[in-house]
Amino acid sequence: MRKVLPAISINEPTQVGESGTRNLKIRLVHTRVRGRVRLNINRLYRSPQLKQQLEQGLRGLPGIRSVQASVLTGNLLVVFDPARPVDDILGMVHSQLGIERSAGASRRARAAGGSDIRETLSHVVDLFTQGLRSPVAAAVSGAALSPGGGAGDTSLVAAEEPGSNWHRTGIKEAIAALDTSSTHGLSAADAAVRLAKYGPNALPEPEARSNLSIFLEQFNSLPVALLGVSAVVSVMTGGTVDAIVILVVVVINAIIGFFTERAAERTIRALTGSKPQYATVVRDAEAETIPIADLVPGDLILLNPGSYVPADVRLMQTDRLSVDESPLTGESVPVTKDADFMAEADSPLGDRKNMAFMGTMCTGGTSRGIVVSTAMSTELGNIQSMITTAEVPETPMERQLDHMGTQLAVLSGVVCAGVGVVGLLRGQGWIPMLKSSVALAVAAVPEGLPAVATTTLALGIKEMRKRRVAVRHLDAVENLGSVQIFCLDKTGTLTLNHMTVVALHTGDRRYTTSEGQFLDHDGVVDPGSIAELRRLLEVVSLCSETALAGDRNNPDLEGSPTENALVESALRAGIDVRALREQNPRLELRERAEGRPLMSTQHNAGRGRRLMAVKGSPAEVLALCTRFEKGGEVLELDEETRKAIIKENERMAGDALRVLGVAYVEGGSKQRHEPENLIWLGLTGMADPLRTGMPELMSLYHRAGIRTVMITGDQTATAAAIGKQLNLSGDKPLEVLDSTSLDKLDPELLAGLIKKVNVFARVSPAHKLKIVQALQRSGFVVAMTGDGINDGPALKASDVGVAMGKTGTDVARSVADVVLQDDNLGTMAVAVEQGRTIYRDVRKTIHFMVATNVAEIEIMLAGIAMGYGEVMNPMQLLWINLFTDIFPGLALSLEPAEPGVMERPPRDPSEEIIRKKDLIRMLEESAIIGAGTLGAYFYGVKRYGGGLAPATLAFNTLTIAELFHSIRSRSNQHSIYHKKRMPPNKYLNWAVGGTLAVQIAANYIPPLRTVLGASRLGLVDFAVVFAGAGVPFFINEAVKHFTTARQAPPAIEGAYDTD
Amino acid sequence: MIKDFMFTSESVTPGHPDKLCDQISDAIVDEFLKKDITAKVRAESAVSGGVVFLAARFVSDVEVDLPDMARSVISEVGYEGGDFNAEDATVMTNLLEYPAESTRPADFSQTGDSDLNRLKANSQVTVFGFACDHTPAMMPLPIWLAHALARRLYEAGSAGDLPYLHPDGKTQVGVEFRDRKPVRIHSISLLASNREGQHPGPKAMQDDLLQAVIEPVFAGQEIRPDEETEIYINKGGLFIGGGPAHHSGLTGRKTAVDTYGEYVRHSGAALSGKDPLRIDRIAQYAARHAAVNVVAAGLASQCEVQLSYSLGQANPVSIQVDTHETGNVEAGEVVERITKHFDFRPAAIIRNYDLQRLPSATEGGFYRRLACYGHMGRSDLNLPWEQTDKADLLK
Repeated sequence: MRKVLPAISINEPTQVGESGTRNLKIRLVHTRVRGRVRLNINRLYRSPQLKQQLEQGLRGLPGIRSVQASVLTGNLLVVFDPARPVDDILGMVHSQLGIERSAGASRRARAAGGSDIRETLSHVVDLFTQGLRSPVAAAVSGAALSPGGGAGDTSLVAAEEPGSNWHRTGIKEAIAALDTSSTHGLSAADAAVRLAKYGPNALPEPEARSNLSIFLEQFNSLPVALLGVSAVVSVMTGGTVDAIVILVVVVINAIIGFFTERAAERTIRALTGSKPQYATVVRDAEAETIPIADLVPGDLILLNPGSYVPADVRLMQTDRLSVDESPLTGESVPVTKDADFMAEADSPLGDRKNMAFMGTMCTGGTSRGIVVSTAMSTELGNIQSMITTAEVPETPMERQLDHMGTQLAVLSGVVCAGVGVVGLLRGQGWIPMLKSSVALAVAAVPEGLPAVATTTLALGIKEMRKRRVAVRHLDAVENLGSVQIFCLDKTGTLTLNHMTVVALHTGDRRYTTSEGQFLDHDGVVDPGSIAELRRLLEVVSLCSETALAGDRNNPDLEGSPTENALVESALRAGIDVRALREQNPRLELRERAEGRPLMSTQHNAGRGRRLMAVKGSPAEVLALCTRFEKGGEVLELDEETRKAIIKENERMAGDALRVLGVAYVEGGSKQRHEPENLIWLGLTGMADPLRTGMPELMSLYHRAGIRTVMITGDQTATAAAIGKQLNLSGDKPLEVLDSTSLDKLDPELLAGLIKKVNVFARVSPAHKLKIVQALQRSGFVVAMTGDGINDGPALKASDVGVAMGKTGTDVARSVADVVLQDDNLGTMAVAVEQGRTIYRDVRKTIHFMVATNVAEIEIMLAGIAMGYGEVMNPMQLLWINLFTDIFPGLALSLEPAEPGVMERPPRDPSEEIIRKKDLIRMLEESAIIGAGTLGAYFYGVKRYGGGLAPATLAFNTLTIAELFHSIRSRSNQHSIYHKKRMPPNKYLNWAVGGTLAVQIAANYIPPLRTVLGASRLGLVDFAVVFAGAGVPFFINEAVKHFTTARQAPPAIEGAYDTD
Repeated sequence: MIKDFMFTSESVTPGHPDKLCDQISDAIVDEFLKKDITAKVRAESAVSGGVVFLAARFVSDVEVDLPDMARSVISEVGYEGGDFNAEDATVMTNLLEYPAESTRPADFSQTGDSDLNRLKANSQVTVFGFACDHTPAMMPLPIWLAHALARRLYEAGSAGDLPYLHPDGKTQVGVEFRDRKPVRIHSISLLASNREGQHPGPKAMQDDLLQAVIEPVFAGQEIRPDEETEIYINKGGLFIGGGPAHHSGLTGRKTAVDTYGEYVRHSGAALSGKDPLRIDRIAQYAARHAAVNVVAAGLASQCEVQLSYSLGQANPVSIQVDTHETGNVEAGEVVERITKHFDFRPAAIIRNYDLQRLPSATEGGFYRRLACYGHMGRSDLNLPWEQTDKADLLK
């Protein structure tokens, strides 16, 4: 983002006014450091030609040490001999630009002497007053978009350079400057010419990393550097073979790293891919939709809610236009725009209310405007050009791992040095000690650590895509695993957003509907066979303004949701509504009105009879009835029945249904106006029904320690009833926050209030952002669903924004982190499970890698400290690193979800990926593994005295122990002593089996044995090897078993309390 | 016992935050009972700043929109515009439905005498009822005057005489007693807040309140302020814009105002927000009823009736009477007579006072109107426990 520093803004730009050289402005940015001066030259911006001229021209001049010009910022940095006055340097720069300074300016500048910067800055104003003379001038003058005007109008245009000053330009002036029309727009021909001149309105795609650079980057790490040093040391100490092997290991490592990282990179790149976008413009006085790439400066553009602003636009007519400018300004509350506003010269982008900028999004209202800049000339383009490389941003987990990898590398470096010193003190020679240190360095460095996170996250995204969950950001996967609160829209997310008749009451019987069928408490009934039910459905079809359009068998209903629901229910019951209406043409319709909460229609029922159909508020309609229908008979409506009906009405209302009473009366041809003496038919209860399985889904989230929160515009009573149906609060009291003015509430207070709220009632979508922010302020990781245009800011602000793939708007989908492609909220649970699993898998991999590497260090350290020299040779250590570290490690990152992962509360978001207690556990386990290996080693020493055998024993033991440890690392809770098995991980089975096979090969293929410096082992030796590897495994598993048994996974209810 | 003393009691207007909460709580009780006479409900409210907290525990078939009730009370009391108003208030509701059927109470109006024992006291509580001959309403004079002033103060603001008055106000009256009889008004203190941006100035306001509030209240009274009576009107200076924006409120914090102005003992249990099944509410009414009839029967000029209930018992475990040495008969005798003629069992109290049906039978709600200006001595409401119907039986 462009930041205007106060130090810069106090000095007006120097202007150079001469024919053809307009708009050259030079500002002194700073001279704070002696010997450095930074200037801003506006024409340098995006002018490689000028950059070259300046750099070449200034370099080599006396006193100048280096020159750097940036075409992205327009800044020129000159480093010079501090002994020389700044003034001299400025003189050189201006002469390069072909300008001569006035003597006065020069003197003033010298007087200032660079000591008082503010003064110097203010004096620089008139430093350059002469015109351009050098050839550079030509390059300068043609560089940027300079609208309209001849050669003469220098001063005005120069002062108002519209390239960045459109917010200070009046609408008329802007239209004139861009030579367009506020009514007709551009002509097609003109637009084509401009398109050729300015190029397509598209920002260049950030270049993807090439395969080569991904490969080369594998070598650019501290571990590889250590290995490189080791190789050099090996060569120096005569170990050429060792060096070659080390290099082979490095290359193999790099190849594996390359393939996993490239696959990850591809997955991530695929996330950012976008569809072509369109914009509505007026050209030749006709509105048309064109691809945004075809937009040119001067186009007359129409902005509507939900559309992206495709270029920088000077607004002309705004009608309550509000724009979400967060991509540009980071401000998540939409800004209301006003075409008639005039911004200050250096007002920040967010305050330029008469402009709309590329990349922002309309959230409400409409506007017309003139495109003033496109592509790289826009503010967004400006920002993008500052980003030099297209790095995929690191997620917090990756950063943590990176940090940890470096720490471990440094630690092992220190240990290596320590080992060397200890060895020397014990009187061992330089060369063997150096070799041992090298071996240790090779052993200790956890090469694959930082890549683990990226790879695992990317694989997770792929896996989720298979389950119809599109994850759009890498870090969303991480957040998914730590979601604590899930905010759900009621309408459309929890419900179908389709009003339906769900309950009926006629005679003295209750009916419910389900999937188009009518049921009483005994099961499915035929509504046609129950006279009063059929009659009721006929009456509501007549007393209705819903029109039936289209297909006769499957008509489209056009009317209010309530009436549509009633007619739909009649159609489901097999009533031919069209025919019914034709047989009973409507004579009169009286709508419900203030104080008359019922609707009545009169129909010609044929044979001179009239039918009055009435529906409305049950109490009011019932009051007008004197009889009721039951079992096909019309009976007197006695007090008892009335009471029963009222009671039934209350019961239905209590279930959050919208209840209507239905009645009718038939009579002679005499026209009645007001309904009276009606025959009561019954009650209809309508609701926007919950999607199936929602209460179960809620309890699934609850078990997983995720609080569910519903957001709705309903009144509290209705909202609470639905909250109860969904069991949103579990067995705790249901908390409902009812407010239409959340924005007026102090944010701190709101944050305090909503810690336990389950339902937000009467909330407008615009307030969702407040809710998210307040929850986050209370320290929660928040996921939120949204599908509307004005849900954008809230989706973006939430840690995981969830949009529906089918029903959601494009806007919601484009800002969401997660898109549920089949609109099934249940897949969100899958996503959470995946998120948690991925996080745990990364942990498991780290656990394995760190524990085994530390074991290697410990063994080597112990051997040297006890005077046995190196327990294993570098070749053996490299071998272990190559096979036993990498493949089981990779396999662990693909562990399937542990059972019960959704029965535990989410992790604490502030917790480190490797906690202290994990580290202690790893150290304990590595010590036990180390002890086992050393045991085998000492056995070898005892039996064979010396030679290759002890090291071979240690080598084999450690390899097998590490394989065992990969099995131990599968779970921190589940041990082999549990009755239930873990779900199998076939990758790990292959990795362990494969490594085991390779290890056997190493023992039995003589050349390989020679390279590894190993001896042949006997059967007893192998027994010792398996004992040395197996015993630690069983001990470690036992320790896990008993520690986790003690700290059993906490009961969910208690574990997740926000008190 | 000290016989010559000065005693003060205070009252507050409906706009006072504590009273606002009491009214919201009782409006909720009313609404539940109106729709479902067998509803069981406890409603508590708190209000602070722009936020209203409602906690409701209930068993009922019907659905009551609690925030809606709160908003309508807030608006009816006169909070409009300003920092706190019905529309902008955020209402936080904490709802817990009791597990249905098991605790579902019955309709007691038809309960026969033999079944009255079945409803046991659901709480341990000691309550007090009092009556005295200070006023025709048989209330102690200080609280009676404080209520009269509060009512007048509020009506002056809401009925339009003094539109600059904010609904939040407080009154206090000090009365001098000689030989336990009120003889003189010692002091009167009014705290009336102004609506924001509307006040006539301190002096004019004092004159207005003297004329529109104090004078009408004492017109026709036996004991009236004299030259020496100290009258404080907003002594602490102007009080602009009161209500929840300035001080918070809570249901059940004005139990003295609800009863006898601390002139005698009163139970610490709150009255508002409880359905008639709550013994700690209705026993206070029954005790008052007994005391009123003792005084009306001429057995004493002051009478305090104490009832103690234990969990799981229908009848009170203790009935005591203290006539403050004004009795014409032995206290023990009084106890005997009221025990004979009053049925203090919970079901009997509910049935005899028709406490389940009064909300639907009374226009504008029943409990809600008790929540302001006191639950006792309300000559304006024709309350069952103010009737002297048993005086003759006690004689």
